[in-house]
Amino acid sequence: MEIKFKKMNKIVFIIIVLASGWAACKKNTPVDGNGLLITTRRECSVSSFELQGTDFVSVRVGTAVIDTTAQTIKVTVQFGTDLKNLYPQFTLTQDCILDPKVTGLTDFSDLANPRKWTVVSGDRKIKKTYSVIITVQPR
Amino acid sequence: MRHQNISFLVLLLAAVALSGTSCKKSGYALPTPSDKLQNQAIKRTLGPNIVGQQIEFAYAMAILPSKGKLVSCAAVASIAGGPGTYMENRSFYTAQNGADVGVPVGTPAVTKDATTTVTYNHDTSAATLRYYYVIPEAARGKTVTITFTATSSDGESISTVMGPYTIAKMDMKLNMKVSDGNLMYISIGDTAVYNATDAAAHAASIDLVYLYRNITTSAFNHALVAPAADPQYLPGVTLPTGVNRTAKLLKTFNLNDHNLAPNEQYGGIFIDDIDFQTIDLSNSPNYTINLKQDAGVWVETADGKYRAYIFFNAVATGTATISMKRYALK
Repeated sequence: MEIKFKKMNKIVFIIIVLASGWAACKKNTPVDGNGLLITTRRECSVSSFELQGTDFVSVRVGTAVIDTTAQTIKVTVQFGTDLKNLYPQFTLTQDCILDPKVTGLTDFSDLANPRKWTVVSGDRKIKKTYSVIITVQPR
Repeated sequence: MRHQNISFLVLLLAAVALSGTSCKKSGYALPTPSDKLQNQAIKRTLGPNIVGQQIEFAYAMAILPSKGKLVSCAAVASIAGGPGTYMENRSFYTAQNGADVGVPVGTPAVTKDATTTVTYNHDTSAATLRYYYVIPEAARGKTVTITFTATSSDGESISTVMGPYTIAKMDMKLNMKVSDGNLMYISIGDTAVYNATDAAAHAASIDLVYLYRNITTSAFNHALVAPAADPQYLPGVTLPTGVNRTAKLLKTFNLNDHNLAPNEQYGGIFIDDIDFQTIDLSNSPNYTINLKQDAGVWVETADGKYRAYIFFNAVATGTATISMKRYALK
Protein backbone atom coordinates (compact mmCIF):
# COMPACT_ATOMS: atom_id res chain seq x y z
CA MET A 1 0.00 0.00 0.00
CA GLU A 2 2.85 2.33 0.98
CA ILE A 3 4.71 1.54 -2.28
CA LYS A 4 1.62 2.26 -4.35
CA PHE A 5 1.20 5.60 -2.59
CA LYS A 6 4.85 6.54 -3.36
CA LYS A 7 4.33 5.68 -7.02
CA MET A 8 1.27 7.90 -7.10
CA ASN A 9 3.29 10.75 -5.64
CA LYS A 10 5.88 10.40 -8.38
CA ILE A 11 3.25 10.50 -11.11
CA VAL A 12 1.65 13.60 -9.60
CA PHE A 13 5.05 15.26 -9.39
CA ILE A 14 5.80 14.55 -13.08
CA ILE A 15 2.41 15.92 -14.11
CA ILE A 16 3.02 19.13 -12.16
CA VAL A 17 6.44 19.58 -13.80
CA LEU A 18 5.01 19.03 -17.28
CA ALA A 19 2.10 21.38 -16.59
CA SER A 20 4.35 24.17 -15.35
CA GLY A 21 6.62 23.73 -18.38
CA TRP A 22 3.66 23.98 -20.74
CA ALA A 23 2.40 27.08 -18.94
CA ALA A 24 5.82 28.73 -19.23
CA CYS A 25 5.88 28.19 -22.98
CA LYS A 26 2.41 29.51 -23.57
CA LYS A 27 2.34 32.99 -25.15
CA ASN A 28 0.18 35.49 -23.32
CA THR A 29 1.17 38.51 -25.37
CA PRO A 30 0.94 38.41 -29.16
CA VAL A 31 3.60 40.12 -31.23
CA ASP A 32 3.65 41.06 -34.89
CA GLY A 33 6.15 40.04 -37.56
CA ASN A 34 8.62 42.64 -36.29
CA GLY A 35 8.45 41.39 -32.72
CA LEU A 36 6.41 44.40 -31.66
CA LEU A 37 3.62 43.99 -29.15
CA ILE A 38 0.05 43.84 -30.47
CA THR A 39 -2.10 45.54 -27.86
CA THR A 40 -5.74 46.48 -27.51
CA ARG A 41 -5.18 50.16 -28.29
CA ARG A 42 -7.22 51.52 -31.17
CA GLU A 43 -5.75 55.05 -31.34
CA CYS A 44 -4.12 55.65 -34.71
CA SER A 45 -2.48 58.98 -35.49
CA VAL A 46 0.72 60.98 -35.94
CA SER A 47 1.42 63.33 -33.05
CA SER A 48 4.50 65.12 -34.41
CA PHE A 49 6.69 65.16 -37.48
CA GLU A 50 10.31 66.16 -38.15
CA LEU A 51 12.45 66.39 -41.27
CA GLN A 52 16.25 66.42 -41.10
CA GLY A 53 18.83 67.02 -43.79
CA THR A 54 21.98 64.99 -44.44
CA ASP A 55 23.65 66.98 -41.67
CA PHE A 56 20.99 65.75 -39.19
CA VAL A 57 19.79 69.32 -38.67
CA SER A 58 16.11 70.13 -39.03
CA VAL A 59 15.08 71.69 -42.34
CA ARG A 60 11.63 72.71 -41.12
CA VAL A 61 10.41 76.29 -41.08
CA GLY A 62 7.90 76.34 -38.21
CA THR A 63 6.19 73.22 -36.95
CA ALA A 64 4.55 70.65 -39.17
CA VAL A 65 0.75 70.95 -39.40
CA ILE A 66 -0.82 67.55 -38.80
CA ASP A 67 -4.47 67.14 -39.77
CA THR A 68 -5.69 63.83 -38.38
CA THR A 69 -9.05 64.17 -40.15
CA ALA A 70 -7.70 64.96 -43.60
CA GLN A 71 -4.74 62.68 -42.82
CA THR A 72 -2.17 65.14 -44.05
CA ILE A 73 1.11 66.47 -42.69
CA LYS A 74 1.98 69.85 -44.14
CA VAL A 75 5.53 71.03 -43.62
CA THR A 76 7.45 73.98 -45.03
CA VAL A 77 11.17 73.44 -45.54
CA GLN A 78 13.97 75.96 -45.89
CA PHE A 79 14.94 77.39 -49.24
CA GLY A 80 17.69 75.26 -50.76
CA THR A 81 16.76 72.05 -48.95
CA ASP A 82 18.02 68.94 -50.75
CA LEU A 83 14.62 67.30 -51.18
CA LYS A 84 16.10 64.03 -52.45
CA ASN A 85 17.95 63.32 -49.23
CA LEU A 86 15.83 63.84 -46.14
CA TYR A 87 15.31 61.87 -42.95
CA PRO A 88 11.60 61.90 -41.94
CA GLN A 89 10.78 61.24 -38.29
CA PHE A 90 7.23 60.42 -37.15
CA THR A 91 6.02 60.40 -33.58
CA LEU A 92 3.02 58.09 -33.34
CA THR A 93 0.41 57.50 -30.68
CA GLN A 94 1.18 54.66 -28.30
CA ASP A 95 1.71 51.15 -29.75
CA CYS A 96 1.19 52.30 -33.36
CA ILE A 97 3.51 51.26 -36.16
CA LEU A 98 4.41 52.91 -39.47
CA ASP A 99 4.18 51.25 -42.85
CA PRO A 100 6.44 51.32 -44.80
CA LYS A 101 9.22 51.63 -42.25
CA VAL A 102 11.58 54.59 -42.57
CA THR A 103 14.98 53.04 -43.18
CA GLY A 104 17.12 56.02 -44.19
CA LEU A 105 17.28 58.96 -46.56
CA THR A 106 14.00 59.49 -48.35
CA ASP A 107 13.28 61.30 -51.62
CA PHE A 108 10.63 64.02 -51.31
CA SER A 109 11.50 65.77 -54.56
CA ASP A 110 8.28 64.86 -56.38
CA LEU A 111 6.20 67.62 -54.83
CA ALA A 112 3.19 66.87 -57.04
CA ASN A 113 2.93 63.32 -55.62
CA PRO A 114 3.40 63.55 -51.86
CA ARG A 115 4.95 60.58 -50.07
CA LYS A 116 2.48 58.50 -48.07
CA TRP A 117 2.84 56.48 -44.91
CA THR A 118 0.22 54.34 -43.19
CA VAL A 119 -0.14 54.42 -39.42
CA VAL A 120 -1.43 51.15 -37.95
CA SER A 121 -3.05 51.07 -34.49
CA GLY A 122 -1.81 49.03 -31.55
CA ASP A 123 -4.39 46.29 -32.20
CA ARG A 124 -3.27 46.30 -35.89
CA LYS A 125 -6.90 46.66 -37.01
CA ILE A 126 -7.12 50.38 -37.82
CA LYS A 127 -5.05 51.94 -40.57
CA LYS A 128 -4.74 55.59 -41.58
CA THR A 129 -2.69 56.76 -44.52
CA TYR A 130 -1.04 60.16 -44.15
CA SER A 131 0.27 62.28 -47.02
CA VAL A 132 3.37 64.37 -46.32
CA ILE A 133 2.95 67.60 -48.26
CA ILE A 134 6.15 69.63 -48.60
CA THR A 135 6.32 73.30 -49.44
CA VAL A 136 9.68 74.95 -50.08
CA GLN A 137 10.21 78.34 -48.51
CA PRO A 138 10.78 81.04 -51.15
CA ARG A 139 14.16 82.74 -51.26
CA MET B 1 23.89 3.52 5.44
CA ARG B 2 27.41 3.10 6.73
CA HIS B 3 28.70 3.22 3.18
CA GLN B 4 26.97 6.59 2.66
CA ASN B 5 28.58 8.01 5.82
CA ILE B 6 32.06 6.99 4.62
CA SER B 7 31.50 8.61 1.24
CA PHE B 8 30.43 11.85 2.90
CA LEU B 9 33.52 11.78 5.13
CA VAL B 10 35.83 11.30 2.13
CA LEU B 11 34.15 14.20 0.33
CA LEU B 12 34.52 16.44 3.38
CA LEU B 13 38.21 15.62 3.73
CA ALA B 14 38.80 16.32 0.05
CA ALA B 15 37.10 19.73 0.35
CA VAL B 16 39.16 20.65 3.44
CA ALA B 17 42.36 19.57 1.69
CA LEU B 18 41.47 21.57 -1.38
CA SER B 19 40.74 24.75 0.55
CA GLY B 20 44.01 24.30 2.43
CA THR B 21 46.06 24.16 -0.74
CA SER B 22 44.29 27.19 -2.24
CA CYS B 23 45.47 29.35 0.66
CA LYS B 24 49.07 28.32 0.26
CA LYS B 25 51.32 31.16 -0.89
CA SER B 26 53.38 30.38 -3.95
CA GLY B 27 56.91 31.68 -3.79
CA TYR B 28 57.74 34.96 -5.55
CA ALA B 29 61.10 35.86 -6.85
CA LEU B 30 62.08 39.26 -8.19
CA PRO B 31 62.56 39.04 -11.94
CA THR B 32 66.16 39.17 -12.97
CA PRO B 33 66.77 42.11 -15.29
CA SER B 34 68.42 41.35 -18.58
CA ASP B 35 72.05 42.39 -18.70
CA LYS B 36 71.85 42.83 -22.50
CA LEU B 37 71.33 46.03 -24.44
CA GLN B 38 67.57 46.58 -24.61
CA ASN B 39 65.24 48.75 -26.67
CA GLN B 40 61.60 49.61 -27.21
CA ALA B 41 59.73 51.94 -29.57
CA ILE B 42 56.27 53.49 -29.68
CA LYS B 43 54.48 55.53 -32.32
CA ARG B 44 53.20 58.75 -30.80
CA THR B 45 51.06 60.19 -33.59
CA LEU B 46 47.51 59.07 -34.28
CA GLY B 47 45.30 59.19 -37.36
CA PRO B 48 46.03 58.75 -41.04
CA ASN B 49 49.59 59.20 -42.31
CA ILE B 50 49.40 62.08 -44.77
CA VAL B 51 52.16 63.20 -47.13
CA GLY B 52 53.93 66.26 -45.72
CA GLN B 53 52.91 65.45 -42.14
CA GLN B 54 55.17 63.95 -39.48
CA ILE B 55 55.00 60.54 -37.87
CA GLU B 56 56.54 60.80 -34.42
CA PHE B 57 58.20 57.90 -32.60
CA ALA B 58 59.83 57.58 -29.20
CA TYR B 59 62.70 55.10 -29.15
CA ALA B 60 64.03 53.95 -25.78
CA MET B 61 67.32 52.10 -25.30
CA ALA B 62 69.28 51.05 -22.21
CA ILE B 63 72.22 49.00 -21.03
CA LEU B 64 73.47 48.22 -17.53
CA PRO B 65 76.06 50.89 -16.59
CA SER B 66 78.40 48.12 -15.47
CA LYS B 67 78.33 46.64 -18.98
CA GLY B 68 78.95 49.81 -20.98
CA LYS B 69 77.29 52.90 -22.37
CA LEU B 70 75.24 53.86 -25.40
CA VAL B 71 77.24 54.73 -28.52
CA SER B 72 74.73 55.53 -31.25
CA CYS B 73 71.12 55.38 -32.32
CA ALA B 74 69.86 55.15 -35.89
CA ALA B 75 66.51 55.10 -37.63
CA VAL B 76 66.32 53.66 -41.13
CA ALA B 77 63.15 54.27 -43.14
CA SER B 78 62.14 51.95 -45.93
CA ILE B 79 61.39 55.10 -47.99
CA ALA B 80 63.64 58.08 -47.26
CA GLY B 81 61.84 60.73 -45.23
CA GLY B 82 61.10 64.18 -46.63
CA PRO B 83 63.06 67.34 -45.75
CA GLY B 84 62.78 68.00 -42.04
CA THR B 85 63.06 64.36 -40.99
CA TYR B 86 65.19 64.29 -37.86
CA MET B 87 65.91 62.64 -34.55
CA GLU B 88 66.17 64.51 -31.28
CA ASN B 89 69.61 64.52 -29.70
CA ARG B 90 67.97 65.18 -26.37
CA SER B 91 66.49 62.58 -24.08
CA PHE B 92 63.24 63.76 -22.50
CA TYR B 93 61.81 63.28 -19.07
CA THR B 94 58.62 64.69 -17.61
CA ALA B 95 59.11 67.29 -14.89
CA GLN B 96 56.81 67.60 -11.89
CA ASN B 97 54.86 70.35 -13.62
CA GLY B 98 54.15 67.97 -16.50
CA ALA B 99 56.49 69.67 -18.95
CA ASP B 100 58.81 67.64 -21.15
CA VAL B 101 62.41 68.51 -20.35
CA GLY B 102 65.14 67.64 -22.82
CA VAL B 103 68.67 66.67 -21.77
CA PRO B 104 71.27 66.70 -24.59
CA VAL B 105 72.94 63.29 -24.84
CA GLY B 106 74.40 63.28 -28.35
CA THR B 107 75.43 65.23 -31.40
CA PRO B 108 72.68 66.75 -33.59
CA ALA B 109 71.14 64.13 -35.85
CA VAL B 110 72.68 63.46 -39.25
CA THR B 111 70.37 62.28 -42.03
CA LYS B 112 71.84 60.61 -45.08
CA ASP B 113 69.40 59.07 -47.55
CA ALA B 114 66.98 57.02 -45.47
CA THR B 115 69.15 56.83 -42.34
CA THR B 116 69.09 59.29 -39.47
CA THR B 117 71.76 58.87 -36.80
CA VAL B 118 72.52 60.39 -33.41
CA THR B 119 75.95 59.68 -31.88
CA TYR B 120 76.10 59.85 -28.10
CA ASN B 121 78.67 62.26 -26.70
CA HIS B 122 77.70 61.99 -23.04
CA ASP B 123 78.12 58.95 -20.82
CA THR B 124 74.62 57.58 -21.15
CA SER B 125 73.31 54.17 -20.23
CA ALA B 126 69.59 54.84 -20.85
CA ALA B 127 67.84 57.33 -23.10
CA THR B 128 64.64 57.88 -25.06
CA LEU B 129 65.07 59.75 -28.34
CA ARG B 130 62.25 61.01 -30.51
CA TYR B 131 62.25 60.52 -34.23
CA TYR B 132 60.16 62.64 -36.61
CA TYR B 133 59.60 61.08 -40.01
CA VAL B 134 58.29 63.58 -42.57
CA ILE B 135 56.19 61.60 -45.04
CA PRO B 136 57.58 62.17 -48.54
CA GLU B 137 55.63 62.31 -51.79
CA ALA B 138 57.40 59.10 -52.84
CA ALA B 139 55.55 57.21 -50.09
CA ARG B 140 52.02 58.22 -51.14
CA GLY B 141 49.76 55.15 -51.22
CA LYS B 142 52.63 52.86 -50.13
CA THR B 143 53.73 51.40 -46.82
CA VAL B 144 56.67 52.54 -44.73
CA THR B 145 58.62 50.70 -42.04
CA ILE B 146 61.14 52.25 -39.69
CA THR B 147 63.98 50.18 -38.22
CA PHE B 148 65.49 51.60 -35.04
CA THR B 149 68.93 50.38 -33.99
CA ALA B 150 70.95 51.13 -30.87
CA THR B 151 74.60 50.23 -30.32
CA SER B 152 76.56 50.12 -27.09
CA SER B 153 80.25 50.40 -26.15
CA ASP B 154 80.51 46.69 -25.41
CA GLY B 155 79.88 45.96 -29.09
CA GLU B 156 76.24 44.99 -28.75
CA SER B 157 73.58 46.09 -31.21
CA ILE B 158 69.80 45.77 -31.03
CA SER B 159 66.97 46.69 -33.39
CA THR B 160 63.21 47.18 -33.43
CA VAL B 161 61.12 47.39 -36.58
CA MET B 162 58.05 49.64 -36.50
CA GLY B 163 55.31 49.37 -39.09
CA PRO B 164 54.48 48.82 -41.84
CA TYR B 165 52.42 52.00 -41.89
CA THR B 166 50.12 52.74 -44.81
CA ILE B 167 50.59 56.22 -46.20
CA ALA B 168 47.31 57.82 -47.26
CA LYS B 169 46.67 58.74 -50.87
CA MET B 170 44.79 61.88 -49.89
CA ASP B 171 46.09 65.44 -49.72
CA MET B 172 45.34 68.09 -47.19
CA LYS B 173 45.30 71.87 -47.26
CA LEU B 174 44.54 73.90 -44.18
CA ASN B 175 43.16 77.34 -43.46
CA MET B 176 42.30 78.73 -46.88
CA LYS B 177 40.57 82.12 -46.69
CA VAL B 178 37.54 82.59 -48.90
CA SER B 179 35.63 85.82 -49.25
CA ASP B 180 32.46 86.75 -51.05
CA GLY B 181 33.19 89.00 -54.03
CA ASN B 182 36.92 88.28 -54.00
CA LEU B 183 38.54 84.90 -53.28
CA MET B 184 35.36 82.97 -54.00
CA TYR B 185 36.28 80.43 -56.71
CA ILE B 186 37.50 77.10 -55.36
CA SER B 187 39.40 74.50 -57.34
CA ILE B 188 39.51 71.00 -55.86
CA GLY B 189 42.06 69.88 -58.49
CA ASP B 190 44.41 72.74 -57.62
CA THR B 191 43.44 72.83 -53.91
CA ALA B 192 43.40 76.58 -54.33
CA VAL B 193 41.11 79.58 -54.05
CA TYR B 194 41.00 82.21 -56.81
CA ASN B 195 39.52 85.62 -57.43
CA ALA B 196 37.49 86.28 -60.59
CA THR B 197 40.50 87.17 -62.75
CA ASP B 198 42.50 84.10 -61.76
CA ALA B 199 39.38 81.93 -61.95
CA ALA B 200 38.95 82.91 -65.60
CA ALA B 201 42.51 81.80 -66.20
CA HIS B 202 41.80 78.45 -64.46
CA ALA B 203 38.19 78.15 -65.62
CA ALA B 204 38.40 74.44 -66.41
CA SER B 205 39.39 73.61 -62.84
CA ILE B 206 36.91 75.73 -60.88
CA ASP B 207 34.53 73.40 -59.04
CA LEU B 208 32.81 75.61 -56.49
CA VAL B 209 31.77 79.17 -55.78
CA TYR B 210 31.77 80.47 -52.21
CA LEU B 211 29.17 83.12 -51.50
CA TYR B 212 27.49 84.74 -48.55
CA ARG B 213 24.04 86.29 -48.64
CA ASN B 214 22.18 87.70 -45.69
CA ILE B 215 18.61 87.29 -46.92
CA THR B 216 15.77 88.09 -44.54
CA THR B 217 13.23 85.75 -46.15
CA SER B 218 15.34 82.59 -46.00
CA ALA B 219 18.48 81.16 -44.39
CA PHE B 220 21.09 81.46 -47.15
CA ASN B 221 24.20 82.66 -45.28
CA HIS B 222 27.44 80.90 -46.29
CA ALA B 223 27.16 78.65 -49.33
CA LEU B 224 29.22 76.45 -51.63
CA VAL B 225 27.60 76.19 -55.03
CA ALA B 226 28.79 74.60 -58.26
CA PRO B 227 29.02 77.12 -61.11
CA ALA B 228 26.51 75.05 -63.13
CA ALA B 229 23.89 75.08 -60.36
CA ASP B 230 20.49 76.71 -60.76
CA PRO B 231 21.11 80.50 -60.80
CA GLN B 232 18.72 80.93 -57.86
CA TYR B 233 21.56 79.53 -55.70
CA LEU B 234 24.02 82.08 -57.14
CA PRO B 235 22.12 85.34 -56.60
CA GLY B 236 24.04 88.34 -57.83
CA VAL B 237 27.02 86.28 -59.02
CA THR B 238 28.41 86.89 -62.48
CA LEU B 239 30.60 83.91 -63.27
CA PRO B 240 33.95 84.53 -65.00
CA THR B 241 34.15 83.37 -68.59
CA GLY B 242 34.39 79.61 -68.91
CA VAL B 243 33.56 78.85 -65.26
CA ASN B 244 30.70 76.41 -65.75
CA ARG B 245 31.50 73.07 -64.11
CA THR B 246 29.11 71.16 -61.90
CA ALA B 247 29.85 69.04 -58.81
CA LYS B 248 28.06 66.83 -56.29
CA LEU B 249 27.82 68.17 -52.77
CA LEU B 250 26.67 66.62 -49.50
CA LYS B 251 26.25 68.75 -46.39
CA THR B 252 27.32 67.54 -42.93
CA PHE B 253 27.63 69.16 -39.54
CA ASN B 254 29.98 68.55 -36.60
CA LEU B 255 32.18 66.14 -38.56
CA ASN B 256 35.24 67.77 -37.04
CA ASP B 257 38.17 66.00 -38.63
CA HIS B 258 41.13 66.24 -36.27
CA ASN B 259 43.61 66.98 -39.07
CA LEU B 260 41.47 69.80 -40.45
CA ALA B 261 40.36 71.15 -37.08
CA PRO B 262 43.15 70.28 -34.62
CA ASN B 263 41.98 72.81 -32.07
CA GLU B 264 38.37 71.70 -31.93
CA GLN B 265 37.27 70.51 -28.53
CA TYR B 266 35.52 67.48 -29.95
CA GLY B 267 37.81 66.90 -32.91
CA GLY B 268 38.55 63.23 -32.32
CA ILE B 269 37.53 62.02 -35.77
CA PHE B 270 39.87 61.29 -38.65
CA ILE B 271 38.70 61.13 -42.26
CA ASP B 272 40.83 58.61 -44.12
CA ASP B 273 41.15 57.26 -47.66
CA ILE B 274 38.47 54.66 -47.06
CA ASP B 275 35.87 57.34 -46.33
CA PHE B 276 36.46 58.88 -49.74
CA GLN B 277 36.39 55.47 -51.38
CA THR B 278 33.06 54.48 -49.87
CA ILE B 279 30.95 57.64 -49.71
CA ASP B 280 28.11 57.70 -52.21
CA LEU B 281 27.43 61.13 -53.66
CA SER B 282 25.59 59.92 -56.75
CA ASN B 283 22.25 61.32 -55.56
CA SER B 284 23.58 64.63 -54.22
CA PRO B 285 22.75 68.13 -55.48
CA ASN B 286 25.23 70.66 -56.85
CA TYR B 287 24.75 73.27 -54.12
CA THR B 288 24.79 73.60 -50.34
CA ILE B 289 23.57 76.71 -48.60
CA ASN B 290 23.14 77.84 -45.00
CA LEU B 291 26.58 76.60 -43.92
CA LYS B 292 28.07 77.67 -40.62
CA GLN B 293 31.14 77.10 -38.49
CA ASP B 294 31.85 73.35 -38.04
CA ALA B 295 29.83 72.54 -41.14
CA GLY B 296 31.41 70.27 -43.71
CA VAL B 297 30.74 69.50 -47.33
CA TRP B 298 31.66 66.31 -49.19
CA VAL B 299 32.40 67.09 -52.82
CA GLU B 300 32.82 65.02 -55.96
CA THR B 301 34.11 66.86 -59.02
CA ALA B 302 32.22 66.74 -62.31
CA ASP B 303 34.90 64.67 -64.04
CA GLY B 304 34.86 62.13 -61.20
CA LYS B 305 38.57 62.75 -60.68
CA TYR B 306 38.46 63.92 -57.06
CA ARG B 307 36.45 63.60 -53.90
CA ALA B 308 37.05 66.11 -51.15
CA TYR B 309 35.86 67.08 -47.71
CA ILE B 310 35.75 70.82 -47.02
CA PHE B 311 35.46 71.91 -43.40
CA PHE B 312 34.41 75.38 -42.24
CA ASN B 313 36.89 76.23 -39.47
CA ALA B 314 35.56 79.74 -38.93
CA VAL B 315 33.04 82.08 -40.47
CA ALA B 316 32.39 85.82 -40.35
CA THR B 317 30.14 88.07 -42.38
CA GLY B 318 31.09 87.44 -46.02
CA THR B 319 34.24 85.44 -45.25
CA ALA B 320 35.20 81.98 -44.08
CA THR B 321 38.27 79.91 -43.28
CA ILE B 322 38.08 76.48 -44.84
CA SER B 323 40.30 73.41 -44.79
CA MET B 324 40.25 70.57 -47.27
CA LYS B 325 41.11 66.91 -47.55
CA ARG B 326 41.21 65.68 -51.12
CA TYR B 327 41.37 62.18 -52.55
CA ALA B 328 42.22 61.43 -56.20
CA LEU B 329 39.86 58.78 -57.55
CA LYS B 330 41.59 58.48 -60.91
